[in-house]
Amino acid sequence: MPPSTDLLQGTLDLLILQTLVLGPMHGWGVAQRIQQVSKDVLQIGQGSLYPALHRLEYKGWIQSDWGNSDNNRRAKFYSLTPTGRKQLESERETWELLSSAIGLVLGRVPEASA
Amino acid sequence: MIKEFLTRARFLLERSKPAEMDDELQFHVEQSTAANITAGMTEIEARRRALVEFGGFERTREQCHEQRPGWWMGTVAQDVRYALRGFRRNPVFAVTVIATLALGIGGTTAVFSVVDRILFRSLPYAHDDRLVSVGLVAPIIPQEFMLGGSYYDWRDNQKPFEAFTSETGVNECDLTEHNPARLRCASVEANFLPTFGISPILGRNFLPEEDRPKGPKVALISYGLWTTEYARDPGIVNKLVEIDGNQVRVIGVLPQNFEMPTLQAADVLVPQALDEAAQRKVDPGRVMYAFARLKSGVSIQEAERQLQPVFNYSLSLAPQQFRNEVHLRVRSVRDREVQDVLLVAWVLLGAVFAVLLIACANVASLLMARSAPRQRELAVRSVLGASRGRLVRQSLTETFLLSIAGAIGGSVLAEILLRVFIAIAPTGIPFLAQAQLDLRIILFTVLLSLICGAAFGVLPAIQKPRPAALAARAKSYPAHAWLRRSLVVGQIAISMSLLIGAASLLRSFSNIENQPTGMQTQGVLAAHISLPGYRFTTAQQQMEFFLRAEASLRQLPGVQVVGMTDSLPPGEMHGQQIYSNIAIAGKPRSMAGTGGMVTWRRVTPDYFKSLEISIVRGQGFTEQERTSGERFLVLSNLLATRMFGLENPIGQHVQPVPNGPWYTVLGVAANVKNAGLAGEDEPEFYQLRRSHAEDWTSSCVMVIKTSGSPEAVAPWVRSQIAQIDPTIPIDIDTLKQDLSKLADRPRFETALLGFFAFCGLVMAVIGLYGVISFVAVQRTQEIGVRMALGASRLDILRLIAGEGVRLIIVGGVAGMGAALASGQLLKSLLYNVGPRDPAIYVGVALLLALVSLAATLIPARAAMKVEPVEALRYE
Repeated sequence: MPPSTDLLQGTLDLLILQTLVLGPMHGWGVAQRIQQVSKDVLQIGQGSLYPALHRLEYKGWIQSDWGNSDNNRRAKFYSLTPTGRKQLESERETWELLSSAIGLVLGRVPEASA
Repeated sequence: MIKEFLTRARFLLERSKPAEMDDELQFHVEQSTAANITAGMTEIEARRRALVEFGGFERTREQCHEQRPGWWMGTVAQDVRYALRGFRRNPVFAVTVIATLALGIGGTTAVFSVVDRILFRSLPYAHDDRLVSVGLVAPIIPQEFMLGGSYYDWRDNQKPFEAFTSETGVNECDLTEHNPARLRCASVEANFLPTFGISPILGRNFLPEEDRPKGPKVALISYGLWTTEYARDPGIVNKLVEIDGNQVRVIGVLPQNFEMPTLQAADVLVPQALDEAAQRKVDPGRVMYAFARLKSGVSIQEAERQLQPVFNYSLSLAPQQFRNEVHLRVRSVRDREVQDVLLVAWVLLGAVFAVLLIACANVASLLMARSAPRQRELAVRSVLGASRGRLVRQSLTETFLLSIAGAIGGSVLAEILLRVFIAIAPTGIPFLAQAQLDLRIILFTVLLSLICGAAFGVLPAIQKPRPAALAARAKSYPAHAWLRRSLVVGQIAISMSLLIGAASLLRSFSNIENQPTGMQTQGVLAAHISLPGYRFTTAQQQMEFFLRAEASLRQLPGVQVVGMTDSLPPGEMHGQQIYSNIAIAGKPRSMAGTGGMVTWRRVTPDYFKSLEISIVRGQGFTEQERTSGERFLVLSNLLATRMFGLENPIGQHVQPVPNGPWYTVLGVAANVKNAGLAGEDEPEFYQLRRSHAEDWTSSCVMVIKTSGSPEAVAPWVRSQIAQIDPTIPIDIDTLKQDLSKLADRPRFETALLGFFAFCGLVMAVIGLYGVISFVAVQRTQEIGVRMALGASRLDILRLIAGEGVRLIIVGGVAGMGAALASGQLLKSLLYNVGPRDPAIYVGVALLLALVSLAATLIPARAAMKVEPVEALRYE
């Protein structure tokens, strides 16, 4: 079983969970959304997107349902489960802790540079 | 947590739907294409770009699939199936590996389970590491002992111990209550139990006033006796029971795991009740066995040093001429308990570890032999997309399966072996009856074989398969060839030294079995009778019983001669005394030391006839002398020569015990093996057991020579004795059985070591065969070329067999070296054969050479028969 502590992988999970807060979405939509929001910085290849989606589903953090897309094509929609919502909270905290810690080390915090 | 687990479990049970996944990925591409069209591309271009962006379709599908919980379990199942298929294709390989492992694991576990208790178990005493046995060693008693004359002086003046106690041995006694039973009573000092840190589970320990002459009669009973006689009735404490006709108060029950530090069985503990003041005065006083607990931090050497003053006091009591034969000995209770099996235990343990080593080497060697031709298979699988991890896992799965099978086989074998050990083991190997399989050891050996299997089985998979291995004409390169060769050399060396050890023991055993004992055992019965002392209280009563028994046995059909003695050679406990204590009329007493020990027995005239011990000089005892008022002796040849040299011993007068009666020598008997089967013969004299009460005690051995089969006469003997008194316990054996029991120990040792040596040899030969046939197959092509170029078949045979011969020689020489170096270890187990007997070395070398040459020649012959054309066309 792949370890979930891996930084990049954990980050992708966090991005997916955050994106799904807005509502059910299909895989392509999730990728597009992340790309848009990050102003094209984060481009998620499908090679990591779909395994991640499946992994999250197996963990029970998101669930999938078949629905119809805008152009009336049958598509698989992912949505956040209550567990996933809780997980998002905790992952967010971890991330913030981590990024502020990295920030401290890099000396980007105003107090530190003063 | 639980929820997550349930979710996973659901997916685990649900079948994956590949169609849905395809649909999902397809949708992604469509969306992407649509987006591209919106961006202004042509439809074809848009789709092409979308597909390029998407990348490997199959790979994504695989990766998604791998996310499924339980995916890896599926691969394990796959690996297992694959491995099993492999084993079925090549069953000889699998069976050999499993058998090798089973033998290694089973043998090691069984032997370790036996020796563990002997070597490593903790004793059932508090501070068992500080408990020691203390005393004097002198030729007269095999164990260290104390004498009443100096024990109390030691107890009061010793420095190194915080507790000092004694016991005076275990004797037979009788429970004379409603249902009488023969028991073993141990006499101990009052502080015996506290010194060993033992407290009774019921009741209390002895009080000092109970350990005095004429003190109140009290006893502690063993857990076993409490269970069998008193149904674990807690009310037993303070009850009166009858022992040897005396009313004795039970004051407590001993713990279940209680054992005497001498390992003698004891049902009842009674105070030794010695008269301390009297013992201090008498010389030498009562024989006692002393035990002590060292003060914390005092070593045994230190204790010996600190005991010098009291030891010197004891020496000063000993007769001048004996002093340099008396030594001080302090050793741990454990050493005293296992003294004579210690070496056997270590030798067995060594042997079985050697076998385990050979087994591991064999498994390693077999796995490597199997892996070499599979290089290509691995390369193909790698090219088809198997990851390195997957290949390693596959190899591990195979090794693991083999190890599990080997472990199961090994455990079964261990159980069987252990039962066989217990069944064939002689009595007197401590703790053997309680030995049971040790789970820790099974785990340890299984782990060991797993590690060695994993190390060698995975080796080829770890290496990146070389592309060259894919080429059709690729020759599998001789990777690890040197490793396999050195493994085989090691196996041969180890089995060589094992074989030498086993052969030495075998030789020694046959020396023991086939030596002349000086007596005729054919058709002779020995009936051991011991009269209960409380019913036959006087020597007169005892004598009358035995004389009646003699007379009635003589009337039995098939009985030729009935002799009586107090002990039988060669192994039984018998009378012994110091040579220099014997006085000879008209000769000065020898003052040169003790002169060693002399055996003596009290026998009736027919004793010599019953065992066909010939009288070489004089006439021996006759029936007339039995009623004589004089006392008579027959000397053994050894003793006669020693006492009188070339003089005529007949008619000489001898006083065996200082201040005792004088005896007249009537004859000289041939020597008989009298100090055990392997011991050096002792000089011996026979006292005539006359029909006077003073010559008799409560026990006697009746030696019955029969004309037909002794087994047929035995029940008659039993019923004759029962007619006189049906309650007398009687122990009848043929003398042959008695002798064979004495050889049990060497037989056991020989059988065990022989078994392991044989296993080692078989495995080493398998290893050798494996290596040579592997080499032969590898060089098939080369052989073809050589033959095409004109090499004869004999040259080929020489080429292949030469390889094996080199390994055999190197391994054999190394093994001989190891055996020479370690031979000294076996020395004390051997009888009449040196640990470096050249005949044995040559014999074993020949055997090993013969067997291993056969193992080499079979594959070499196969190589010789290679058709050059076929070999060249091969592949």
